[in-house]
Amino acid sequence: MSKAGIHYFGIRHHGPGSAKRLIAALDRLQPEKVLIEGPADCSELLPLLAHQQMKPPVALLAYSAEQPACSIYYPFAEFSPEYQACLWAVRNNAELTFIDLPVNIQLAQRLPEYIEPQDNENDVTETQTPKPSEEPNDSEPHNNEADQISRDPIGTLARLAGYEDGEAWWNELIEQNGDDDQQIFATVEYAMGALREKLTGDEKDTVHDIQREAQMRLEIAKASKTITGEIAVVCGAWHVPALREKHSAKSDRERLKSLPTKLAKSKVKTTWIPWTSPRLATISGYGAGVSAPMWYQHIWRQNDNDQALEHWLGHVAHALREAGQIVSTASVIEAVRLSKSLALVRNRPTPGFEEIREAVIACLCFGESLVWQQLEDKLLLGNLVGEIPDVAPLVPLLEDLQRLQKKNKLKPEALEREVSLDLRSTTGLGKSILLHRLNILIVPWGKLIDAGGSRGTFRERWLLCWEPEYAVRLVENLVYGSTIEQAANNKLCESLTHENHLGKLADTVQLCLESQLNKAAEVGLSRLNNRAAHTSDALELLDSLSPLVNISRYGTARDMSLGLIGELINRLSIQAALALPYACRNINDEESQHYRHSINRAHAALQLAELDITIMDEWWQALQQVIASHQSSLQVAGLCARLLYQAKIIDNDTLQVLLQRTLSPGLPVADAARFFEGFFTDAVQRLLYDQVLMDAVENWLISLEEETFIESLPLFRRVFSDLDATERKRMMDTILGGQSSSLVQKRINSMTLPLWPTHLQRIGKLIQRNKTWTQ
Amino acid sequence: MSDIIRQPVEITYQAELDALKAEDTGKKPENWHLSPQAVVTYLMGGKTTDGTEISAKYIGKRRLIETAVATLATDRALLLLGVPGTAKSWVSEHLSAGISGTSTQVIQCTAGTDENQIRYGWNYAQLLANGPSKEALVPTPLLRAMESGSLCRLEELTRMGSDVQDTLITVLSEKMLPIPELNDSIYAQQGFNIIATANNKDKGVNELSSALKRRFNVVVLPLPDDMNEEITIISRRVSEMGASLELPVPKNANEEIKKVVTIFRELRGGETLDGRVTLKTPTGNLSTAEAISVMVGGLSQANWFGDGQFNAEDISSNLVGAIVKDPVQDKAVLEEYLETVLKKRQEFADYYQTINEIL
Repeated sequence: MSKAGIHYFGIRHHGPGSAKRLIAALDRLQPEKVLIEGPADCSELLPLLAHQQMKPPVALLAYSAEQPACSIYYPFAEFSPEYQACLWAVRNNAELTFIDLPVNIQLAQRLPEYIEPQDNENDVTETQTPKPSEEPNDSEPHNNEADQISRDPIGTLARLAGYEDGEAWWNELIEQNGDDDQQIFATVEYAMGALREKLTGDEKDTVHDIQREAQMRLEIAKASKTITGEIAVVCGAWHVPALREKHSAKSDRERLKSLPTKLAKSKVKTTWIPWTSPRLATISGYGAGVSAPMWYQHIWRQNDNDQALEHWLGHVAHALREAGQIVSTASVIEAVRLSKSLALVRNRPTPGFEEIREAVIACLCFGESLVWQQLEDKLLLGNLVGEIPDVAPLVPLLEDLQRLQKKNKLKPEALEREVSLDLRSTTGLGKSILLHRLNILIVPWGKLIDAGGSRGTFRERWLLCWEPEYAVRLVENLVYGSTIEQAANNKLCESLTHENHLGKLADTVQLCLESQLNKAAEVGLSRLNNRAAHTSDALELLDSLSPLVNISRYGTARDMSLGLIGELINRLSIQAALALPYACRNINDEESQHYRHSINRAHAALQLAELDITIMDEWWQALQQVIASHQSSLQVAGLCARLLYQAKIIDNDTLQVLLQRTLSPGLPVADAARFFEGFFTDAVQRLLYDQVLMDAVENWLISLEEETFIESLPLFRRVFSDLDATERKRMMDTILGGQSSSLVQKRINSMTLPLWPTHLQRIGKLIQRNKTWTQ
Repeated sequence: MSDIIRQPVEITYQAELDALKAEDTGKKPENWHLSPQAVVTYLMGGKTTDGTEISAKYIGKRRLIETAVATLATDRALLLLGVPGTAKSWVSEHLSAGISGTSTQVIQCTAGTDENQIRYGWNYAQLLANGPSKEALVPTPLLRAMESGSLCRLEELTRMGSDVQDTLITVLSEKMLPIPELNDSIYAQQGFNIIATANNKDKGVNELSSALKRRFNVVVLPLPDDMNEEITIISRRVSEMGASLELPVPKNANEEIKKVVTIFRELRGGETLDGRVTLKTPTGNLSTAEAISVMVGGLSQANWFGDGQFNAEDISSNLVGAIVKDPVQDKAVLEEYLETVLKKRQEFADYYQTINEIL
């Protein structure tokens, strides 16, 4: 090519077609040195990529030792041209070097943004901070159009041509140009040149690009001085025209002047971490990501297979069958035929991703795109997790833990120890947050005892015990992030998106707040909002109220929109009120037990929540409807009657009528007993003070037949066992008036008197632990 | 000619079809009048090189039509699914006109359709005189389509009995129609295919047997995506129907239509238009066609029993009728919608009140 010995290969990041071409080209060229677009100071980590235990997707992680949240990822998938180039180089003993801006400079650029907001412990991940452009290879979403072009120029060209998927376009236009690898790379380069001309120089990101390209030129020049053989430069297609331009080394150095001084080597850590296939996807916020990692992997693996289409559709059919759909082989054949004829209608040489999707919907899902959407994530994003060799450097999560342990003065100890934390103090709060977050990551270093039991909300008691395997478990969480906070956030976000049960969602949101994970809390709230509408199950609705009210009372120390929660509570209470009367009809005793529990909790929460009076009206109305309906479970009706009575919504007379009606002898005793149970469970004390209740109950009990009374005895025992000794005595006093003392008087049974001395002896022996006492 | 209320589409749009045919150089499947690409253009609209404007027959996603045409280009039958009023029959008519040049080979399937109307009937006079013979056979549109290699349309496929539906299985998979009485068979010519339409959210229909279902490629035609589009469709239809019923359409019709469409779209879509609140959806399908009938019902009520103005009272009773199809489930859905959404909206206050009274 132009410069003797230097060959430029413009690739599409994570493009399988590109990777295939690259390998073919390298095989033909047999370069002595391979230069890859990647941070120059990470070159020594590269050979690890070819390690046997290394299984992509993996990512190269660089982070600041002091601020682990300030980090850069370079994900590699099996089908990434960069990864394949590395493998090729290691296999063919070619020298392998990264040539892009070193991470120590990039981190130095970003670090200031992380230091300032440190006080309020905001979750500053690199995906949130607005910055000028970054590598095409790091995880930052960019909406800027010009940026989109430089990031995935081939995808942009494809979209212009009306394709949804860059890979299909590459396949059809680039590959159609013939089998000559050189010609293909030349075509790509030509297209990029044309595209670059269209961009004026004032886009904000070009400054950064200019610096990177200058850096790469310098590195290439350096390499060409030391190597005599062929040099292959593998970089994003976008950069090729710029790398070819002739600039003097001096002017290039001039361009790099404005960069901050690099961080000291000890302050930057780099390592390999396992990555997951969903996080290779654009949808996860990874700017240079691809739309469907699994599809790309399929293209890569079935590269030379004529039946790649059939394989993919077979795979789709399999997934559909697993999801319970009936998909016949004949339908799969039709899907293959339809995708081919669709490609024909659209004037495309081979069916691409879109054609296949539409064929699948029409043939395998009977036109229901919903069926496809349910499977889409699983099929396209997959759930692959990469593996890294044991010899890779220490992982950041452990370091972060060590740092936090030091900061919070918590030492890992193998023996159990109990600590009591005061959440009003910063140290106490810090410890609590750390322990909560570790629990989320399934590293149960601390166990919360008496959770929610103690009266004060500012005190927590933990049982600490560190096990060695916790370190391993922590490392498994690397896919979620490089700091404990980040990882916990991401992990919770993931589980929140899969959780549908309202009550559990609300509990998780509460956990988010306790662990100060704002990102996850926001995700949780929006999930709650979504799910709230789809739930008509009264139990779920009731269960969700208590944690939500707790959240809204938990305080507004954090910058969270608690207004949203208030709205949600209002809405859920209305929904619960509407659903309740219907829900507790025709249910059995066991179910009614659940309902009573949930109603009790929800009622307590609602009273704390200080809701709008109209909403409370709905609630009272719901309770009244429960009592009024004859189909309602009697236990629940009993409970509702008591709640209404306690809140003075129904007055004494009404209650009396109600009690007399439900406890009247005409009703089957079992039913009356149910109502009685519902009414008095947890509230039997009220009998002591309330003559109305007392009279009603007394009349009922007296009216019972002896036999039925005995049958119901266990129930009465259960209800009255809530009373302690003095209360019971007082109750007896009330019932029996003044006569109690005379009736309960102790009398000495003279018949037993002679036995007493032997008894006394036995007791004496027993106290001395003499085993012969029974004789 | 002008006495005919409605001409078949291949005559109404003859100029467009001719223009497309003149410039069509694409490869045509056997017995097709246009290439698949030209058929898509005919449906979606565009312009030919000689400047003839091709009107858009279907307003919606292009890829749906592409899938439909591609299906017919393979020898698979096409099933157009959708709630009433989503232009299923309209699309099938035009596909048929574009591909075979005729849209009149149609069988309207009803509960009373029997096998003789699908396969072939007999001319009994002939049959008695000469015994079974080809001459005594009365062909159906399906049989004619097989013989001429063109498209046959089946309207409302699921309305006819399952046993009759299954007559189609042999035709679809083996492309032949046996005539056991003559010990003979009719073999379909190249270009023969079937376009069926059916409602996917309808009660009182006969579900397709899975054997038949998997012989169709299914394209679901959705309700209009865009609110303004839907409002325009409704107000046009309401004024048309008002004119034919000789009912003057009040001035405030558009505002009320907008409110009704808002309620319909929110309940149908399962969330409020601003996307803030997610809602439950009722069992009915709340199609555009139903919104039209709600408005027409309201119009007639306003004219005969009201002051000629649309008001919430006139519309609400029709609205409740359209939404509450299942007295228990839908009522709860509507109640929840009223309490959580409409109650907070000032401009819907009269609707909130009147609907509540009706419930």
